[in-house]
Amino acid sequence: MKKNAQNAGIDEVNFNDSAFKVRLKRNLEILSNVLANPTTVLGLIVVIFMLAMAIFAPVITEPNTPDPYQMPRDWKAARSAPLTPGHILGTTNRGGDVFYGVVWGARTSLKLSILVVTLTVVLGVVIGSVAGIVGGKVDEILMRIVDVFLSIPELIFALAIAAILGPSFTNIILALVIVFWVKYARIMRAQVIRIKQREYVDAAKIMGASKLQIYLKDILPNSFSPVMVQATLDMGNIVLVGATLSFIGLSEAGIAEWGVLVSEGQAGISAGRWWASTFPGLMVFLWALAFNLVGDGLRDVLDPRTETKR
Amino acid sequence: MSNSKNTILSLRNVKKHFPIKEGVFQNVVGQVHAVDGVSFDIGAGETVGLVGESGCGKTTIGRCVSGLEPLTNGDIFFDLTPEKLLALEDFEKHQSEIKNKHLIDEIQSTSNISKIEGDDFYNYRRNCQMVFQDSFSSLSPRQLVSDIVSRPLKIHKVCADNELIPRTIELLEQVGLGKQHLYRFPHQFSGGQRQRISIARALALDPKLIVLDEPTSALDVSVQAQILNLLHDLQKQRGLSYLFITHNLSVIRHMADKIVVMYLGKVVEAGKTEDIFSNPQHPYTKALLAASPDLSEDVMSDMAALDGPIPDPARPPQGCSFRTRCPVSRTECGWEVDDIIRRLEHHETLIDSIKSVHQPDAFNAKLTFETSLSAIELKDVIGTNDIPKQMRKAIKKIEVDGNDVNISFDPVQTVPLVQSDNGSLSRCVLANK
Amino acid sequence: MSPDNLDIQNSLDKDLIASVTDLKVYFESKQGMVHSVDGVSFDIVDGEMMGLVGETGCGKSVTARTFMQLVQSPPGVLAGGNIKFRSKNIKNGSQVIDLLDLSENQIRELRGERIAMIFQDPGKALNPGLTIRTQVAEVFQEHRENDVLEKAGLKNKLSGVTEYFVKKYIKQEAGFLVTTLLKIPPLSTYKKKIDSGINRLVAEALEETQIPNPTKVMERYPHELSGGMKQRVMIAQAIACNPDLLIADEPTTALDVTVQARVLDLIKELQKRHKTSVLYISHDLSLVRRICDRIAVMYAGQIVETGDAETIFNQPKHPYTQGLINALPSMSHERGKLEAIEGIVPELIEPEPGCRFVSRCMRRKANCEEIDPKLKPISEVDKSHKVACLLYEA
Repeated sequence: MKKNAQNAGIDEVNFNDSAFKVRLKRNLEILSNVLANPTTVLGLIVVIFMLAMAIFAPVITEPNTPDPYQMPRDWKAARSAPLTPGHILGTTNRGGDVFYGVVWGARTSLKLSILVVTLTVVLGVVIGSVAGIVGGKVDEILMRIVDVFLSIPELIFALAIAAILGPSFTNIILALVIVFWVKYARIMRAQVIRIKQREYVDAAKIMGASKLQIYLKDILPNSFSPVMVQATLDMGNIVLVGATLSFIGLSEAGIAEWGVLVSEGQAGISAGRWWASTFPGLMVFLWALAFNLVGDGLRDVLDPRTETKR
Repeated sequence: MSNSKNTILSLRNVKKHFPIKEGVFQNVVGQVHAVDGVSFDIGAGETVGLVGESGCGKTTIGRCVSGLEPLTNGDIFFDLTPEKLLALEDFEKHQSEIKNKHLIDEIQSTSNISKIEGDDFYNYRRNCQMVFQDSFSSLSPRQLVSDIVSRPLKIHKVCADNELIPRTIELLEQVGLGKQHLYRFPHQFSGGQRQRISIARALALDPKLIVLDEPTSALDVSVQAQILNLLHDLQKQRGLSYLFITHNLSVIRHMADKIVVMYLGKVVEAGKTEDIFSNPQHPYTKALLAASPDLSEDVMSDMAALDGPIPDPARPPQGCSFRTRCPVSRTECGWEVDDIIRRLEHHETLIDSIKSVHQPDAFNAKLTFETSLSAIELKDVIGTNDIPKQMRKAIKKIEVDGNDVNISFDPVQTVPLVQSDNGSLSRCVLANK
Repeated sequence: MSPDNLDIQNSLDKDLIASVTDLKVYFESKQGMVHSVDGVSFDIVDGEMMGLVGETGCGKSVTARTFMQLVQSPPGVLAGGNIKFRSKNIKNGSQVIDLLDLSENQIRELRGERIAMIFQDPGKALNPGLTIRTQVAEVFQEHRENDVLEKAGLKNKLSGVTEYFVKKYIKQEAGFLVTTLLKIPPLSTYKKKIDSGINRLVAEALEETQIPNPTKVMERYPHELSGGMKQRVMIAQAIACNPDLLIADEPTTALDVTVQARVLDLIKELQKRHKTSVLYISHDLSLVRRICDRIAVMYAGQIVETGDAETIFNQPKHPYTQGLINALPSMSHERGKLEAIEGIVPELIEPEPGCRFVSRCMRRKANCEEIDPKLKPISEVDKSHKVACLLYEA
């Protein structure tokens, strides 16, 4: 029938649809939109490569005992150039295997970024939501606190905190959480205030939905996309800032971490031993770039402006 | 009015003022009188149309009725039997001598929606639903139609889980959709279809009253007709009452049994639809009717236009609030000092040279000018035709004293709503005689 | 304007100001080409008010924007047709040009000068960061250099470098040097005169649209004005150069009825006074009937019927026009018995041949799905009333 053909997509009868299938289809559609952008795909490939490296680190290289996150030291082969047998990317001047550092550094970075992002997102979303929903004085006080945090440059702030807490990897995580949560609180508050004025929130109130139900079903899902985009971007940024802190010497010495490795290798650069700093440095760069590319791609697809109005 | 039916909703002197806040400490510097003493009833199975221009308070009333905004003052009663309504009216007339106190107490505790709590309020939620103007914003973009329509059923635990989907399909079929639409997202529908989904959601709890806030304003005429027909059919089948809020007079003439015309937060005219359209009493209603191009059958008749802007609702005019734009204003409309200021718009230099205004009340003021020349000029301007003749007549005293001008008007009380010849209520000094 | 535009000069009837022929504007989308405007033809008679009516998405606004080359491209694609326009009041008399052939610079000269446009949302069309004065003055500065000089009392009184500087200043093209020079005497006196001249022109333009207190309103920012007032400023800006054609795209939709009546009166009055032709775009048939001389009804990218306002309203021929008129709630309808047009507007992605209205039409015939109906005069007698429907094709 002509009519069916013309109204295709809306009036065609398909009784096999189910809520699950439709949701899946929609998510696949979003995914395919993400994948339509070549730079995003490039970023995604690098991300997957990095994740694989982090996950399969024990398979790729023999874990150091007793602590696999400590660099193994081969003093005899110190300062070997790349492609030395047993040290494919060479060693540092203290005999650390650069390849081991690069591979296990990915694992350290993953640990760092996932921990920090999870904690900051939770903290930021909770505080932002409270500020947005309660409003009034509470909002005013919380946002002034956020302003204070935001007024100090990210890196310097993290540096100061990490320095106060003392050099350790855990303290770097702590410092980054303290610095990064404010962004999420800001984003979430703005989103909540925007979404809570929508008429579907009014409609839920009129139905008699409780405040918690409205928050969980109407406000949270509709305000989460920008947080997700920011979280993806921060997966990259956090490793960058973390590596900087490590480079300055704010994490434990000898840990398999890219920043530490770069700092360990820098002394040799002037002597022509470029490899010990270059490879981990390249990894930091690739990691940050890849997550930023994916984050940008996500933003294009999930942007609330393109989402609510078709 | 025949009193055999229940009154679904009764608004009694409802007021809603929004504070104007300023500064870091959010000090309240004034009040916007969004709704200022509105009373009307909606009978069972009846459609009451609420008409007015933007900013007249009609949407605020809808939000108050549906419980989204608490009232500043006044009461909204829900589902009153004729006896209860009578008792209530009696009580309002003779406040001092309460005859049946326990009945009044009962009404206050069971039917007053701003006083009931807990289960009673939950029950009211079931019985009063709302359909919004913007169907894009009133349906959550991340929920499927099945979730949207079945949600009220889940919240109120109306039916068992396995009946949820059949019940939802039934609701969709009632609004002209079907089960093929169950698992779709709102953005996959056209405007008219989305409005149908909103209506299905509002019907889910089998309410007695639906507040329709401009339900067809965002739709095209051909689709608007579909939705209006649907609303009418549903009303017939289910005995629904509607509070139909709109600015579109031809729609309201078609849909409403009774009409309430609002201006600046007040009711200016209320009555049966036929009466209001065939014989409008208030000049504002007349202007509205004349300005609507789709009402008049006579193409060549002029579209009457009103002069001037709507006054600031934070400082609504005393007396008759329409007098500043009224084409037939009278001396006794309640003119006040603010009117002189409003009228001085054309004389900017005069306004600029006002140094201070000492105003003990709305009807007396001392304006201090920078020069005595300006003071004299003001008096002259008031003598010219820039000022309506009726207003000039209402000035009791105007004296120039050096740089000062003392002005006083005859104080006039707020114009009451009175019954006019055709049975409708009208708030105009012309109808008072 | 280049002389090669002159060779189509004779192809426009004497009494017409503009003529659209077979205009096609498509939009690229993921699903395919959207045929938003698909073969639209109509004429605008000089000095008349022409109404273009249709529902959301029928292509009426796109048609209007094409006049000014305001359609974003991509995704917009001009797929065919032409818009002939008689540009009057220019130095060498009147001249017929094809608006779609013009270069960016040529159309810019025409915009605001010979063709002006008023938009639906005056709040969005005015720049929130500039005063009303600046925004209205821009039109004069761009197109009315001589008027500005005359108002400033400097016409034919300047020469050489001074004239060059002052003209640069009027055109807002003055660089740092010229701006600085204009700040020091004796040139600063010219600057003052020019400024006050522009001010007077702006005040007069605002006065004409019945804005009370124009010199005060001039210094305000758009957000300080009410909706009706902003629309008047828009109109003042549009008619400032006394254009030949004014395109009004739903100018009163965002306004209250009583304010709408005022603005309509104003447009009508100005149109009569300046003998401007108006293309009035609206979804509201009864409103268009009130103010327009002729109406064209659009549906799904095509014109289905065109004719005198009264004829269209009283003797509609196309089933869609009939449906549209009957769907208006009126006295004669019993409640719940409005004659709605069932169904929804078809998707315009790569449409198949055949009448676009067929899926919603109550009077469709067997071959309606195959044959494209053409816009043809309904009878030999009345050539002006045209309809695109197979019911009326012999």
